[in-house]
Amino acid sequence: MISKALCERVLKRAASTGADYAELFAENTLNHSIEMVGGKVDAINDNVIAGAAIRVYKGLRSVMASTVDTSEEGLMRCAQRVADALGEGKAEIAIHLSEQVIANIHPVLDAPSSVANRRKVDILRAASNAAKEYDEAVRQVTGRFLDVDHNILIASTDGVYAQDRQIRTRLAVSAVAEMNGQTQTGSCSPGRRMGMEMFDGLIDPAAVGREAARQAVVMAGAGYCPAGVMPVAIENGFGGVIFHEACGHSLEASSVAYNASQFCGKLGQKIASDKVTAIDDGTIPNAWGSINIDDEGTPSRRRVLIEKGVLKTYMIDKFNGRRMGMESTASSRRESYSYTPTSRMTNTYIAAGEDRNEDIIASIEYGLYAKKMGGGSVNPVTGEFNFAVDEGYIVRNGRICEPVRGASLVGKGSEIIQKIDMVGTDMDMGQGMCGSSSGSIPTNVGQPLIRVSSITVGGR
Amino acid sequence: MTFEEFKNAVIAEARQRGIEDYELYYAQYDAISVEAFRHEISEFSTGIEGGVCFRCAVGGHMGYASTEELSPDGAAALVRRAAENAVTLESDETPLLVAGGQTYEAHKPEEYPLPDAAGLVRTVLEMQDMMLGSDPAVLDNSQSGAYVSANTVAICNSRGLDLKHTSRSAALMAMPIVGDGQEMSNAYEMKRGDFAKIDRAEVIAKAVKKAKDSLGGGVPATGAMPVVFSPEAMSSLLGTFSQAFSSEMAQKGLSALRGKEGQTVAGANVTLVDDPFFEGSAMMPFDDEGSPTHKKNVIENGRLVTLLYNLQTAAKAGKATTGNGAKAGYASKVGVRPFVMYLAPGEKTEEELLKEAGNGVYINMLGGLHAGANPISGDFSLQSGGFLIEDGKKAAPVKSFTVAGNFFTMLNAIRDIASNLEPPRGGGSTGFTSPSVLVDGLTVAGK
Repeated sequence: MISKALCERVLKRAASTGADYAELFAENTLNHSIEMVGGKVDAINDNVIAGAAIRVYKGLRSVMASTVDTSEEGLMRCAQRVADALGEGKAEIAIHLSEQVIANIHPVLDAPSSVANRRKVDILRAASNAAKEYDEAVRQVTGRFLDVDHNILIASTDGVYAQDRQIRTRLAVSAVAEMNGQTQTGSCSPGRRMGMEMFDGLIDPAAVGREAARQAVVMAGAGYCPAGVMPVAIENGFGGVIFHEACGHSLEASSVAYNASQFCGKLGQKIASDKVTAIDDGTIPNAWGSINIDDEGTPSRRRVLIEKGVLKTYMIDKFNGRRMGMESTASSRRESYSYTPTSRMTNTYIAAGEDRNEDIIASIEYGLYAKKMGGGSVNPVTGEFNFAVDEGYIVRNGRICEPVRGASLVGKGSEIIQKIDMVGTDMDMGQGMCGSSSGSIPTNVGQPLIRVSSITVGGR
Repeated sequence: MTFEEFKNAVIAEARQRGIEDYELYYAQYDAISVEAFRHEISEFSTGIEGGVCFRCAVGGHMGYASTEELSPDGAAALVRRAAENAVTLESDETPLLVAGGQTYEAHKPEEYPLPDAAGLVRTVLEMQDMMLGSDPAVLDNSQSGAYVSANTVAICNSRGLDLKHTSRSAALMAMPIVGDGQEMSNAYEMKRGDFAKIDRAEVIAKAVKKAKDSLGGGVPATGAMPVVFSPEAMSSLLGTFSQAFSSEMAQKGLSALRGKEGQTVAGANVTLVDDPFFEGSAMMPFDDEGSPTHKKNVIENGRLVTLLYNLQTAAKAGKATTGNGAKAGYASKVGVRPFVMYLAPGEKTEEELLKEAGNGVYINMLGGLHAGANPISGDFSLQSGGFLIEDGKKAAPVKSFTVAGNFFTMLNAIRDIASNLEPPRGGGSTGFTSPSVLVDGLTVAGK
């Protein structure tokens, strides 16, 4: 990795035309994935991402240049490009880096990047076979074993000189089932900020395969979800995507700083129902969305976003924090050096409440029980969001009845979070990849079982 | 190390290991992008990125490895990793490479002067000032942007193939936010081409109109009704379900169109085309394996003429490649993808389609396509925005509703197709575009 002395020279060059902040981000990442189709290893993607980005600020202006050439000459050239693009001024800041010792709160025992393909293939095969054998309606099974060894170094004129190694492992299985000419899919894809030890008791590959198959078979036998406005109970785990889309993105400084969020100027105000306490926590040991430091080198932390309905904080990075007059909350993230970082989520969830699961279901006369959610998206300016229900059931007279397919939920974030009127006790999280302007990053979503009193269900 | 030096190091390493069949795929992406907020540049970024993918035949399989680290050590590790990955593979695919000496169609991409960094900054600031002053509803948190980029792909292999292609483009973006005191609404418009010829006022006016149109929108009633999709909405549906036309997906049992070549899969008014040389596109003369590309009908008057093939899937099916070998990124395995896929235009104007629809909804925004649409089953249920259609005309704006149906059923329920076909909006080698279409049998969920 790049020495402290070289970082100082690079930052000095970058800031030579009057920048009031300069930062170097360098990375060396090994992305590896093995794909299995129909029980056979079909493809292996094995890629080294290596490069650096240099960024400077002057007031509310940010200039960044990236390069694959991390030699001293390459970095100095990149720094000069940044300095030239900023303009013609004089150096104004002194540069003194001090090495930070970052506490590793996400220890990894068995790094997948140094494990032979064979061991990963065995895990994949166990999952794939279990899915195939689950039911004769299962027509096809695809699976993927993904691991990432992401090594980053950040040096900045705030004095930061820090490094982190972020290792992630994920097993993703997708099954296709066919019944009476109807084809449907199911999936299960757990992941952690861990190594191969994830499979020592925490994640059972066969159970992952069976879960994907179970969902595909249930949905292949399901009819279409009816359309309309109704109460919906959303299960824990990936169900937390409702908060992520309906509210989370609109609390990111990348929207708030530009006055382009439904929640601008609402700090200290009541924006959600009393039942909603929401947290974004990058420090949960070995969780999928966890980090030791963010991509500006700020040590990770836990943020209470909403407490009993009252907005407590936004998620802020250093650059957007300037515009807002607020400190970073350690929320700066980027997929890789080639993206300009911005404020993003880590592990974001609605905290456990006091309602019993059976009471939540029993309270619904006619509505939908969303057992498994798919992905979604939101326009932070208007707050209009959508997400898919991958496995849903009709609720009649307080009881879960037949499965339904093809449902999606839409609404406006600021309205929906006021309609979360029951919150269960058993919080759980699900893993996702969140896409935004700074690329695709791992994030957890989570919640207990919740009830939304009324929401538009798209079906037919 | 330059790419040429790295290439020679990789080839020497491969030969030393006794590897006879191999390919190097090199991609480079240079870009400058600029964004303005209020009356200042807020973000400026420039980057030169690129990487090399090496694939080689070992033990009867084609192993892949990629890197951005162009060093002697990187070269040795690349060959070692690709060879290790090859022996892990179990599929029944045989390694296939394109031989040199093929004939390629020559279509020159549109060339125009590209702005330098200072030119980009100047243009964006002018554009931003223009937009902020264009309409009282435009709020000062609106943003403008521009970029200039150059994409280079080079492929060389042990069979004498040695190809290189560069495509360059520049684009302007208007991202207005408008408000009426009650609520905010935003839109996005982009235009690629020569900055000197782009009518900036028109780009801005189009974006501002789109944003203003959806202010104060209501929610439509729930029920089945005629739907007119705008070109943008129909293009995004087409893009989402395009993997059904991939022979790779079909052969893996992941396409509803498997085994349907030669059969009728759509209404007689549907012709679906894949054209690598569509006006304004990257004009790729070769695909990501180096096979020559060409224009073809995928669906012709409702009949599925052909799926899209690469060398591997074509060999499996006993056919010739259609020149659609494609990588999702330079590091990916060669899969299958269209270049510019579009629905062939009809004769009528969009206004005539609305008249034909009578009463229904016009949809110009679809959200959550990555989640609310299942490319395997064809089912979709998607967040939508647009207008009511009343008495054959666009009426009040509507939002926060969904449209649901099945893509494959829908191909047989297109009542009419308009004539308003435009180049795809994105600038890459893959794009989707469509005229407006009038569809029956879809369900709208609103209030």
